[in-house]
Amino acid sequence: MVESRSIIAKILQPLFVCFTYLFLYLPIITMVLFSFNNSSVSMKWEGFSLRWYRQLFKTPEIINALQTSLIVAFCATILSVLLGLWLILGSRTWKSYFPFNLFYTNIILPEIVLAIGLLSIFTFFRISLGYISLITGHTIIGLGYVVPILRARFTELDPVLTEASLDLGASYFQTVRKILLPLLMPSLVASALLVFTLSLDDFLIAFFCVGPKVQTLSVYVYSMVRTGVDPTINAISAIFLSLSSLVMLILCFLNVLDQVISHE
Amino acid sequence: MIKKLFKNIFLQEAYFWLTCPALLWEICFLYLPVLVLALYSILDYSSGSTAIHLTFEHYQKIFNSLYFKIILNSCVLAIVTATICLFIAYPVAYFLAFKVNKRFRIFLLFLIIIPSWTSLIVQIYAWFFLLEKNGLVSQLLSTLGLFSDSHHLLNNYFSIIVGMVSCFLPFMIFPIYAILERMDKQLLEVSADLGASRYETFKRVVFPLSLPGVYAGVLLVFIPALGEFAIPTLLGGSKRVFWGSIIVDKFLRSRDWRSGAALAIIGILFPALIGLLIYLFNKSINYFKRDKIKIDKTKKAKDNWDFTESNI
Repeated sequence: MVESRSIIAKILQPLFVCFTYLFLYLPIITMVLFSFNNSSVSMKWEGFSLRWYRQLFKTPEIINALQTSLIVAFCATILSVLLGLWLILGSRTWKSYFPFNLFYTNIILPEIVLAIGLLSIFTFFRISLGYISLITGHTIIGLGYVVPILRARFTELDPVLTEASLDLGASYFQTVRKILLPLLMPSLVASALLVFTLSLDDFLIAFFCVGPKVQTLSVYVYSMVRTGVDPTINAISAIFLSLSSLVMLILCFLNVLDQVISHE
Repeated sequence: MIKKLFKNIFLQEAYFWLTCPALLWEICFLYLPVLVLALYSILDYSSGSTAIHLTFEHYQKIFNSLYFKIILNSCVLAIVTATICLFIAYPVAYFLAFKVNKRFRIFLLFLIIIPSWTSLIVQIYAWFFLLEKNGLVSQLLSTLGLFSDSHHLLNNYFSIIVGMVSCFLPFMIFPIYAILERMDKQLLEVSADLGASRYETFKRVVFPLSLPGVYAGVLLVFIPALGEFAIPTLLGGSKRVFWGSIIVDKFLRSRDWRSGAALAIIGILFPALIGLLIYLFNKSINYFKRDKIKIDKTKKAKDNWDFTESNI
């Protein structure tokens, strides 16, 4: 009895975990592999080539979509981190949790509802869809992650540090610059990277709020997938994948992975 | 109370204005849109005049038609996804938290996070690529002799579930792992010392303590799965319609915004209602359990007493 149980623990459990990883990675790995395929028929391997990547950079729509995505992600990141940081710094003496709990709605509300809500107010106030609506929506999503992460870090800090600095005659601005910002920096970087990837990957808000004139990369990929399999999509996907892995590596080196996981 | 709040905000804290942009942004672009949706769904112009009046016509239309069934179907899909995710994620999280040394654990976590940080569309496309008519899986199955010819593995319920589970699995693993990892490992030793078997330790110590993580994971999977639009559309074909896809259809194709808004509001309220019911159910069960536990305890104490007495 005891032996059979230890066999389960020793063999079956790791096997199960291996299968789970296989399940998560099999599609991604095959997709990346076939992005280097030299054949235009998707499932026949005809040798290694970078031809789909070359074609990628020759297609103006893809370059434009990539540009839009990057601009939107950049603006949304800066906006949400700034707004979140101001909120945290301005509410130093607040006792109530209510203003912070407001921001959990961003995560709990289904994204599709947020997307159509934004669409309806933008058309209601006759603001043309495009960069503005995209950045607005992505900032809302970003705030839902930035505020809890920063708040958690801020409450971990010793309030005595701030009080001492204020007592010693520094203004609040000086205190923020010399004491609070350096202490908050890891969480700031982590949340900024998180928002950047979230915005880059976002599909639903972009799908509704993108308007007729601009296109983001994920919406472009979606419209291409609808028409069928194409090796250029494999190439775009591989680039997406390497971008997010790069961000993850940076976070790993910053040692802030645990923080992000516990707030996911 | 209000005076105190006012004092707190305006007098003691000179930098309260720093909080205004974020709160305003939140209210303007999150709460206002939802409010506008709600108003859209219940207000309408009377025919012929410009006066606005209250109407529940759109809700009635939804409850009387196929749409209600579609919403139920979406709920079932989300529940199935969350359940499968839970059954896969719990052993993985347990393994990561208890059975792996630290270095390797970080590497394994890293591997789980990468897909969850990759675009959803990319992940869906990866499955699309794998499962399509001449894809790897169908080729493999036909060489194994399971299919006579290459088969389309897409456009069925199974492919939707596979896509959903693989996309949302990391969001179930993280919270469970986070809570298991923070758990005091001495508790396990204590439980073993007190004579509990491994299974009993799991049932009575580990699992109850990890429940908050399980709840968080279920929430994180259930909600996006309910509103998911891209996975059922791309992997399930156009025949299978879910809540997300009818909203897209109402807003972007048929331009029937008012019933679309009503659908969205129902889609928010419905899970909230289910959650409330479960919460109340749990509360009442706990209430009854408390009495039972009391009785059990007194009975057990008495039994123990008898036992020791007879020993003497």
